[in-house]
Amino acid sequence: MPIKTNVLQSILYKIKHMAKSSMAKYVLRRLLYLIPIFFGILIIVFVSTRMAGDPVKLMTGLNPRITAEARERLTQYYGLDQPLYYQFLKFVWEMLHGNLGNSYAIRGGTAVTTLVGDYAWETFKLQLTALFFSLLIAIPIGILSARKQYSKLDVTVTTTSLIGTCIPIFYMGIVAILIFSYSLGWFPYGAAHSLDPSRYPFGSYLLDELWHLFLPATVLTFAELAPVVLLVRSSMLEVLRQDYILAARASGLSERTVIYKHALRNALIPVVTYVGLYFGGMLAGAPITEKVFNWPGVGRLYVEAISKLDFPVITGITVFVTLMVLIANLVTDIAYAYIDPRIRIE
Amino acid sequence: MKAGRKIGTADVMKEKLLETPDKRRTDGVSQWSIAWRRFKKNKAALAGLIIVGAIIFIALFSPIIARYPLNYLASFKEENKIRVPPSSKYWFGTDYIGRDVFSQIVYGAGNVLYVGFGAAAIAMILSITIGITSGYLGGLVDNILMRVTEIFLVIPFLLILLVFLRVAMTIAPSGVGGLTTVTLMIGLFSWAPNARIIRGEVLRVKQNEYIEAAVALGASKWRIMFRHVLPNVLHVIIVLTTLQIATAILVEAGVSFLGFGDPNSVTWGQQLQMASEAVKEAWWEGIFPGLFITLLVLGFNLLGNGLRDALDPRLRE
Repeated sequence: MPIKTNVLQSILYKIKHMAKSSMAKYVLRRLLYLIPIFFGILIIVFVSTRMAGDPVKLMTGLNPRITAEARERLTQYYGLDQPLYYQFLKFVWEMLHGNLGNSYAIRGGTAVTTLVGDYAWETFKLQLTALFFSLLIAIPIGILSARKQYSKLDVTVTTTSLIGTCIPIFYMGIVAILIFSYSLGWFPYGAAHSLDPSRYPFGSYLLDELWHLFLPATVLTFAELAPVVLLVRSSMLEVLRQDYILAARASGLSERTVIYKHALRNALIPVVTYVGLYFGGMLAGAPITEKVFNWPGVGRLYVEAISKLDFPVITGITVFVTLMVLIANLVTDIAYAYIDPRIRIE
Repeated sequence: MKAGRKIGTADVMKEKLLETPDKRRTDGVSQWSIAWRRFKKNKAALAGLIIVGAIIFIALFSPIIARYPLNYLASFKEENKIRVPPSSKYWFGTDYIGRDVFSQIVYGAGNVLYVGFGAAAIAMILSITIGITSGYLGGLVDNILMRVTEIFLVIPFLLILLVFLRVAMTIAPSGVGGLTTVTLMIGLFSWAPNARIIRGEVLRVKQNEYIEAAVALGASKWRIMFRHVLPNVLHVIIVLTTLQIATAILVEAGVSFLGFGDPNSVTWGQQLQMASEAVKEAWWEGIFPGLFITLLVLGFNLLGNGLRDALDPRLRE
């Protein structure tokens, strides 16, 4: 007993020591916040998937040679005969040991961690490329648009962006495929690689990858461009109205210095939040994008898992995506507190 | 119209003392006519209103506007052909089983609007109740409600929605109320961001003197929340509702596109899903429904932006 309290005390001491700096305190508090949220989401998904039907029946229903006994054995093998709370606790216990179970139907019996790892790469490749280019293009356009408010350029930019936010991504994708793949034949109309190595452009695997990536990434970039442009523009306008910008101008700084050194830093704060949230949305929204372009990513895997009632894959992807979202949120919060010291005071 | 008028302390006191609302000062124009006057000047907002109005009109009179009966295999039955390109007979061509795409779009309008309005209504009722209670009561209630909201904020929305729709498909008797299930699910999972915005707005309103006056006069908490706070955050709620409708329409289209919509109701997303299987052979099958989704979402967004500019008291001249 006394040893235990000692250990506990030393841990508490360490935490207290770390928490002395306000930043560490802030991060720690946010981190503790995330645990109940994570488990809340996990419980919702875990319970609801179990209500979606019987995977064993789905797998074996079409095969008349499988006996009822065999079905029962399979149910037992998957542990689906156990009470729900037991299944959940077992899942959490295994999860804490880094094991998310094995898939039922998809690539029969593969470890979910391996499966998600394989597919996640393709999702990240597509989404991060799009995010990078959309920020690269959107931020200068947004700034320019804000600086020349109500000019022809500004009106064009805002109108186009507003329309851009209204076009569903899959519609944009279908139109792009129609024009650039079917009519012009410039790009393949789906998938991330050519199946046959002899079809690689100039025999290069990398070029083949880029060739396949180009169209989906471009469409996603355009889809992501519109909201970022509007965000940068409105936040820049807000900042340019502040007194300190007036002060900076009054002290005779060049317009370039005022915009890029004084205004931009504060104008980008909402963009940081947006990028953080985008990380979450990017993984969660992946099913739609990946369906249009037949992209072998997590989203498509997820839809397949739901239609096959592959419980471990569904929960596995949810754990993965939720963790990504929460980490992204945490990083956003920290970045936010770092950029804007007012946040930490509350 | 009393609702939404920015009332000063004196007004509240006077009203409270007289206790008869009709003896209120009636000179000047109401806030709503001011808002309408400002709205009328905004061309984009008017365009939004016209788009939304036109599509509501199409939905209401769909049997008259449509050229063929619902789900009628027009080109298949009459010419034994499917996927006929657009012509004077089939304005937008026919689809994979020979239905007239234009007529199906017309019939779909009602369903699309049903999901949009329905899901937005559910989401808004939840977010208003939670936002106002949380913001006004504060303390423990606020803490609990906001933790729940946080879960719903970070929840990977589409992923959970798909699981729940799969569950609904298993539980619900096949076909019956399929579209209502979709509507309910979208509504139940999209209230969180709005609840947070409304809460923030309530926190701002709460500090005004007229609330203090109401408290001093001994009004009950519920009365203050729904008679004094609610009318003063109404402008925010109206704008959020409009934008929420647009979001719900987009979500429904996405869900249908993934094949998780109601297979028995025609919606534009579902038409697009069927079309995406054969874009190469029949471009018209998907282009037109997609165009209508974009148009309707744009309409609601323009309307929402216009309303925000017209109703925001801070922008008043």
